[in-house]
Amino acid sequence: MDQLKEDLKKQIIEQLNLEDIQVSEIADDALLFNDEGLGLDSIDALELIVLLEKFHGIQVTKPEEGKEAFMSINTMADYITRRKAEQAV
Amino acid sequence: MFYISAASSITHQPTFKNAGFSASLHELTEDSELISPNYKDYIDAALLRRMSKILRMSVACAKTCLEEAEISQPDSIVVGTGLGCLQDTEKFLGTFLTIEGLLPPTSFIQSTHNTIAGQISLSIGNHGYNMTHTQNTLSFEHALIDSMLLLSEDNDHVLVGAADEYIEILDKIQQDLHLPLSGKLSSGASFFMLSKERSANSLAGISAVETIGLVEDIQTEIQRFLTEQNIRSSDLDMVLFPGFELGTSGIILDYFINNEVEIDRIVDYLQFSGIYPTTSAFAMHYAIDRLGQDENLKNILVCNCLNSKNLGLTLIQSLEA
Repeated sequence: MDQLKEDLKKQIIEQLNLEDIQVSEIADDALLFNDEGLGLDSIDALELIVLLEKFHGIQVTKPEEGKEAFMSINTMADYITRRKAEQAV
Repeated sequence: MFYISAASSITHQPTFKNAGFSASLHELTEDSELISPNYKDYIDAALLRRMSKILRMSVACAKTCLEEAEISQPDSIVVGTGLGCLQDTEKFLGTFLTIEGLLPPTSFIQSTHNTIAGQISLSIGNHGYNMTHTQNTLSFEHALIDSMLLLSEDNDHVLVGAADEYIEILDKIQQDLHLPLSGKLSSGASFFMLSKERSANSLAGISAVETIGLVEDIQTEIQRFLTEQNIRSSDLDMVLFPGFELGTSGIILDYFINNEVEIDRIVDYLQFSGIYPTTSAFAMHYAIDRLGQDENLKNILVCNCLNSKNLGLTLIQSLEA
């Protein structure tokens, strides 16, 4: 799980061109779309959907799931783990 | 005449925030690099991360113009670009070809030509007329004509400029198409504040701009343009032209030499700017800078024949002319 979170942070920095941010600066529970967290916006939300498909093979088909899944690194990692488990069944 | 109250360029020369740069220009070499400022000084970090080279250059130049002209909001923003946002276009098409499934939205959003004028508008919170002109090598001249029409109506200040960016694939395209180039492909952005009235910030005046598409007789067109402006060739203190293609450049050189313009007053600006479709905007900034450095100069003609089928003529004059 910890490796997944590290990978997610690297992928977010690359996909969203967060030039000045290091992996170590992103807390697992920081709110991604809050100014006190990463301060992401609606275009970033679209980029995160692309990121999930590109790096993890997961399609976000239900918009209401995205709101919950993209809250923080922790929730993204949980979402990926759950969806992969569902795919494996 | 309309008045130029600010000028700002980011190019391969030390043009940015450097009045008098025209005295320290050097001929571009293969290893010449774009001279960029620290963009974080001009653009919010949250916006900067999504901006390609052409957008960074343009927004930084636009903001500098506002600062220098001491005008917080222009009535209009008008931009000319020959090839638009190439870096994002290449990125989007690259992912389009290689990735199955969803495509990243940012490079698509930022790939359109009018992203430049749009980003300037968003960066300064401007809700006025916002227009992009893209007509190959005459894009900047058409942006100027649009701006002058706006000033002749009800606008007081128009932010006008031009930008184009080099990306590596242009070299391959040039080789594949067997296009002989007389210089280095480069990037550049030049922006100006055009005002209806003269002010303490006025640097120079712009008297006339004209474009002639599918030009047949360059010499006749230049003669007619000058006559309409009541200017004789011998009144020109400087002629700026792109020495790109021997035939057309030769015609222009012949014309002015035969009409009493000394050879050392005829300057090939392409050797300083490198090659991109809107280099005539660099030439305009060069002309303004020269006028500011030498009070003996009154009339400068930019003669844009970068594409031999199209002719752009811009007459820039000192405030005393």
